[in-house]
Amino acid sequence: MEWVDTHLWTIPLMPLLGVLVHIFLGGTLGKKLVGILACLLVFISFGLSVVVLLRLLELPAEERHLLDNFLPWIRVGAFSADWAFRADTLSAVMLLVVTGVGFLIHVYSTGYMHDDPKYIRFFAYLNLFTFSMLVLVLASNVFLMFIGWEGVGLCSYLLIGFWFHDLNNATAGMKAFIVNRVGDWSFLCGVLLLFWSLGKYTGTYTVDFYEINRLAPELPAGIALAVGLLLFGGAAGKSAQIPLYVWLPDAMAGPTPVSALIHAATMVTAGVYMIARFSGLYLSAPDAMMVVATVGALTALFSATIALAQNDIKKVLAYSTVSQLGYMFLGVGVGAFSAGIFHLMTHAFFKGLLFLGAGSVIHGLHGEQDLRRMGALKSKMPWTWLTFMAAWLAIAGFPGLSGFFSKDEILWQAFSSEHGHWALWLVGFIAAGLTAFYMTRLVVMTFYGESRWPEHAHPHESPRNMTVPLAVLAVLCVIGGYVGVPAILHGANYFEHWMEPAVTWAAGHGGAEAAEHAAELGSHGLEALLMAASVGVALLGIGIGWWMYSRRRDIPEAAFQRWPNLYRWVLNKYYVDELYQWLVVDNLLRLTRLSGRFDLAVIDGAVNGSAWLTERVSAISGWIDNTFVDGAVNGVAEVTRAAGGRLRLIQTGRVQQYLTFAAAMVAIGVAGIILWPSIQPWLAELWSGAI
Amino acid sequence: MTPFQLVKPEELAYLLPELILVGTLIWSLLLELILRPRQSRFPVAGFTLLGLLAAAVADLRLLGEPARTLFSGMIVRDDFAIIFQLLAAFAAGLVVFASIWTREVSDQPTAGQGEYYLLILGATIGMFFLVAAQNLLMLYLSMELLSLPSYLLVAWPKRSRPATEAGIKYVVYGAGASCAMIYGISLLYGLSGSLELHDLNAYVAGLSDQTALPVATFLVALLLTLAGFLFKIAAFPLFQWAPDVYQGAPTPITAFLAVGSKAAGMGALLRFLYLGLCVRGSADLFTALGGLHWPMLIAVISALTMTAGNLIALAQTNAKRLLAYSSIAHAGYILMGIPLLSVAGLTAVIFYLAVYLVMNLGAFLSVIMLENQGLPPEIKNYRGLGARSPAIAIAFSVFLFSLTGIPPLGGFIGKFYLFAALIQGRLYWLAVVGVLNSVVSLYYYANIVRRMFLEKPLDETPVPASPMLRGLLAVLALITLALGLYWIPLYQLVEFAASTLGL
Repeated sequence: MEWVDTHLWTIPLMPLLGVLVHIFLGGTLGKKLVGILACLLVFISFGLSVVVLLRLLELPAEERHLLDNFLPWIRVGAFSADWAFRADTLSAVMLLVVTGVGFLIHVYSTGYMHDDPKYIRFFAYLNLFTFSMLVLVLASNVFLMFIGWEGVGLCSYLLIGFWFHDLNNATAGMKAFIVNRVGDWSFLCGVLLLFWSLGKYTGTYTVDFYEINRLAPELPAGIALAVGLLLFGGAAGKSAQIPLYVWLPDAMAGPTPVSALIHAATMVTAGVYMIARFSGLYLSAPDAMMVVATVGALTALFSATIALAQNDIKKVLAYSTVSQLGYMFLGVGVGAFSAGIFHLMTHAFFKGLLFLGAGSVIHGLHGEQDLRRMGALKSKMPWTWLTFMAAWLAIAGFPGLSGFFSKDEILWQAFSSEHGHWALWLVGFIAAGLTAFYMTRLVVMTFYGESRWPEHAHPHESPRNMTVPLAVLAVLCVIGGYVGVPAILHGANYFEHWMEPAVTWAAGHGGAEAAEHAAELGSHGLEALLMAASVGVALLGIGIGWWMYSRRRDIPEAAFQRWPNLYRWVLNKYYVDELYQWLVVDNLLRLTRLSGRFDLAVIDGAVNGSAWLTERVSAISGWIDNTFVDGAVNGVAEVTRAAGGRLRLIQTGRVQQYLTFAAAMVAIGVAGIILWPSIQPWLAELWSGAI
Repeated sequence: MTPFQLVKPEELAYLLPELILVGTLIWSLLLELILRPRQSRFPVAGFTLLGLLAAAVADLRLLGEPARTLFSGMIVRDDFAIIFQLLAAFAAGLVVFASIWTREVSDQPTAGQGEYYLLILGATIGMFFLVAAQNLLMLYLSMELLSLPSYLLVAWPKRSRPATEAGIKYVVYGAGASCAMIYGISLLYGLSGSLELHDLNAYVAGLSDQTALPVATFLVALLLTLAGFLFKIAAFPLFQWAPDVYQGAPTPITAFLAVGSKAAGMGALLRFLYLGLCVRGSADLFTALGGLHWPMLIAVISALTMTAGNLIALAQTNAKRLLAYSSIAHAGYILMGIPLLSVAGLTAVIFYLAVYLVMNLGAFLSVIMLENQGLPPEIKNYRGLGARSPAIAIAFSVFLFSLTGIPPLGGFIGKFYLFAALIQGRLYWLAVVGVLNSVVSLYYYANIVRRMFLEKPLDETPVPASPMLRGLLAVLALITLALGLYWIPLYQLVEFAASTLGL
C-alpha cells in the first residue's frame, strides 16, 4: 500500500480523465457508456481513497500524513509552490466524503437525468466538479487549493445554470458566481496578506499549509486577526454564511443531484475545511475564531427561522443547509475542528440523502416542488419514504443517529471549550429545536396527511439506480455517527483521535489540554445535562411539529392570521435579497451608468488625447531621427518619416546615413569614454553645486 | 612538451553536432546538383530538416557533460553553448519547415530551389560555432559565417525590388559593423596579446593597475567590438537596418533574422562579456573586472533600444515592419538581464530568448500564412480577420498578447523572470523603464487584435491555409500557452545551463 504514497495524483486523475473522455468522445460513446464511465471513475477514486485511509492507518498516529510532490510548478528563488498533494487524516475524511457520497450521487444522476438532452455535458461537469474538489482537499499549499476553490466555483456556476434556457436559472447561476466573487476576493486578499506577512515577520515565504500553521504563532496578533477574518470572508462566500448566504437558496435552480452533491454535501463545506486546514493560524488569532463562531451560530439560527415558513421543498432544505453549515462554523470557531469536520461528514450523509429523497419526490411528481401540493406519498414511494425517515431523524438530532452525535459534540464544545461561551451554546440549542420542528413539518407535509397533488399526477417510486443510493446513504445516516461516540456515552470518540494529528498537531497544543479544560469545568455531569437538554429540545421540536402539522393544521394558520407581518417577513426571508438589491445592486447599476457617462466624456477624451500625443511623439522622434541623420550627412533636412514613401524606393543613400548615425553614436561613446576622466570631476562639482 | 597539434582526433567526437550539419550541407549540395532544379525543393528541405534534427539530438546527448575546450581553446562545448545551439536548430528547423509552404519562397522562378535551404543551413552552422566560440577570431569568423548567407537569403527573391534593396542595405550595413568589430578585436589583440577570452580576462583583471591611457584605449576597443554584437542583435544604436531589411526580406527569412540570428548574437555577447570581462564569484554572482562600468553602458543601451523600438513601432502600418520594431524592443528587454551580473539575470535572458523564439516565430508564421492567401502584410488588410479566419486570428492574438507579456502566456513568465531578476539586482530604474515600455507596446500589439476582431471585414470570404502551416501554427500557439502555465522544465534546463557558465 506504500504505492499510494507517491500516487496520490491518481485520485483526481480519474474524474479528470472522465471530463476529457466525455467532452471529446462523449458523442461517440453514447449516453449509457458515459453514465457508466462517469460513475466508474469516481468509484475508482473512492477505492483509491480507501487505500489512502488504510495506508494512514498503518502508520503511527503522529506520522499520518503523506506528501506527494509530483510536479514542480512555480519556483522563484527559495520560494516554491508545486503541484503537491497531501493526504493526512483531515483530507482523508474529505476524500472519502467527496468520492463516496459523490459516487452515490453520480449513480443517482444516471436515473434522475436520464431523459435530459444534455446528459453527457452534465456528467462532464459533474466529473469536472469532482476533480476540482479533490484538488481542493488534497492541495498541500494555498495556491493549489485556490485552483480547486475556483474550479468548484466554476462548476457550481455551470451546474446551477445548467438549464439556462430559463432566465431564472441563468440568473441564479450568475448570482452565485458574483456573490462568491466577493468571498473569493476576500480569500485572495487574505492569502496575499498572509504570504507577505510571513515573509516579513518570519523570513520564510511559504504557501504550504503545515508550514503556515507552524509559523503562524510568530505573526503579530493584528495581522493574524486580519488574515483570519479575510480568509473567513472567503469561507463565508463559499459556505453561504451571513452576509453572503443569499446565493445558496437560489442555487437550488440547478438539477437536484447538483444540489445534493455541490450545494449540500461537498462544495459548500469547503469553507469549513479551509478553516480547519488553517487551524494553527486561527488558534493564534482567537478574536477571528470568535467572529467565526458567532457568525456561524447566528447563521444557524437565522436561516433556521427562514426555513420554518418556506413552501418549496428544496428551499427548506437549502436554508437548512445554510443553518447546518452555521453549526460547522460554530464548531471550528470554538476550536473544535474535529467536531466541525465530524458534522461536515454526517451532514454530507443526511443532507445528501434529504436532497436525493426530495429529488425522488420531485421526480415522482413530475417536477412539483411545492410542499402544499404534496402529501400522502408514504405508500406511493415506500423506499423514498423509508430512507427519508432516517435522514429526518438524523438531522433532527434523534438520539443514536449520526446527526445527534455530531451536533451534540459541537454544542458541548461551544459551551465548554476555552473559545466557547454559553451564549453560543444557547443560540445553537434554539436552532436545534427549530431544525427538528421545520424538518418534521417538511416530512409531514410531504409523506403524511391527505394527498394534495392533482388527480392525474400518478406519483411513482423512482427507478432502482435512484433508490439504491438512497438506501446506502440511509444506512450511513444511521450508523455514521458511531465513529465519534463521546466518552460520556462510554465511546472512544475514534473520530476525534483520528483527526488529532491533522488539526491539533498543527495547532500545536494537544487534546490533553482541552481535556483538562473540560475537566475543570467539571464535568461529566454538566455534559450529560446538556446532552439531555438537546435530546429534549429535539424531541420537543419533532413532537410539536408532528402534532401541529398532522393534527392541528389550524394552529399555524391561526398564528399566521394573528401575526401576519411576522409571517410575511419570515416567508420573504426578512427581505434580505431586496435589501441587497436596493443597497448594492441598484447602486452598482447607478454607478455603472455614471461611469459610462464619465467614460464617454473624460476617459475617451483622455485616451484619444494620449493616442494623439503618442503619435505626435513618435512622429517627432522619427523626425528627429531623420533630421539628425540627414543633417549629419548632407546638412539637408528634407523628409519626415510620416511621408513614408521612402520605404518602397531603392535609396542606397539611406544605408550610408544609417551607418553614419551608428558611427556617430559610437564616436560619441568613444569620445565620452576618453573624456570621462576629465569630465567627471567637473560634472560632480556641477552636481554638488546644484544641490 | 607535447608537440603543438591543432586538431586532436578524439576531440572530433565533441564536435558531432557541427559535423552533422556540415555533412548535411555537403550532401544537400550534391542532392541539389543531382536533382532537376524544380524538383529539389522538397528533398533538400526534408534533408535539411533531418540534419537539423540529428544535430539537435547530438547536442542533447552532450548535455550535462562537463565543459570541454576544443582545438586549443578555439571553441568550447558547454551546456551554455548547447542550449543556444538547440535554440538555433529549433529556429532554423521551423523556418525551413515554414518556407516549404511559403508562396513567397516557393513561387520564385529562381532555378534551384534547394539553394535557399543550403543557405539557411550555412547560417545555422555559423550560429552553432558563434555560440561556442571562445576565441575572438573564431567568434568573428563564425559571425561572418552567419552573416554572409543571411545577406544572400534576404535578397533571395532576385526579381523583387524590395528584397534586393533590403539585401544591399543589409550587406553594406553589415560590412560597416563588421569592420568596426574586427578593428575592435585587433585593438584588443594588440593590448592583451591574445585572442583568447581567458587571456583577455587576465588582461582586464590587471587593468586597474594601469595608467589611464591603456584603459581608455581598451574601452575604445571594447566599444568597437560591441558594435558587431549590437548589429547582430539589432540594438541601439545599430538597429536602423532592421526595419528596412525585415520588411524587404522574404517573411521566413525575416523570422530567421529576428529570432535565430538575434539569439545566437545574444549568446555570443553573453559569453564575451561574462567570460572575457567578469569573474565568477560565489553566490551565483559575477563581478566586472578592472573597475570597468560596462554593465551601466549595457543598461543604458537596453533602455534606449526598447524605447526607440517601441516608440517608432507605434506609428507603423505594416505588420512586418511593426514586428521588426517589436523585435528591436525585445532586444532591449533581453539586454535588461545582462548588466545584473547574476545567474538569475542570465537565466532570465536565456529563458526569455527561448519564449521569444516561439512567440515571435508564431507571429511571423501568422503573417506568412496570410501573405500566402494574398493578404499583404499591411495591418489594414487584417480587418475583420476574426470572422474570415478565426483560427489564424486567434493564434495571432495569442502571439501578440504573449509578446506584450500578458498572462497566462509564455511572454508574461519570461518578462516576470526578467523583472524579478532586475528587482533582485536592485536595478530599479531599468525595471521601471521596462514596465513603461511594456505598457506602450500594448498599444500597437492590441491594435492588430482590435482590427482583427472588432472591425468589419472588407470581404467575407474565408482565408484558407495549408494544413501543414495550420498545424505548425497550432503547435506554436499551444507551446506559447503551455509556457505560461507550466514553464518549470524549461526554466530548470535554462537555469542549469546558465549556472555552468564561467565555472
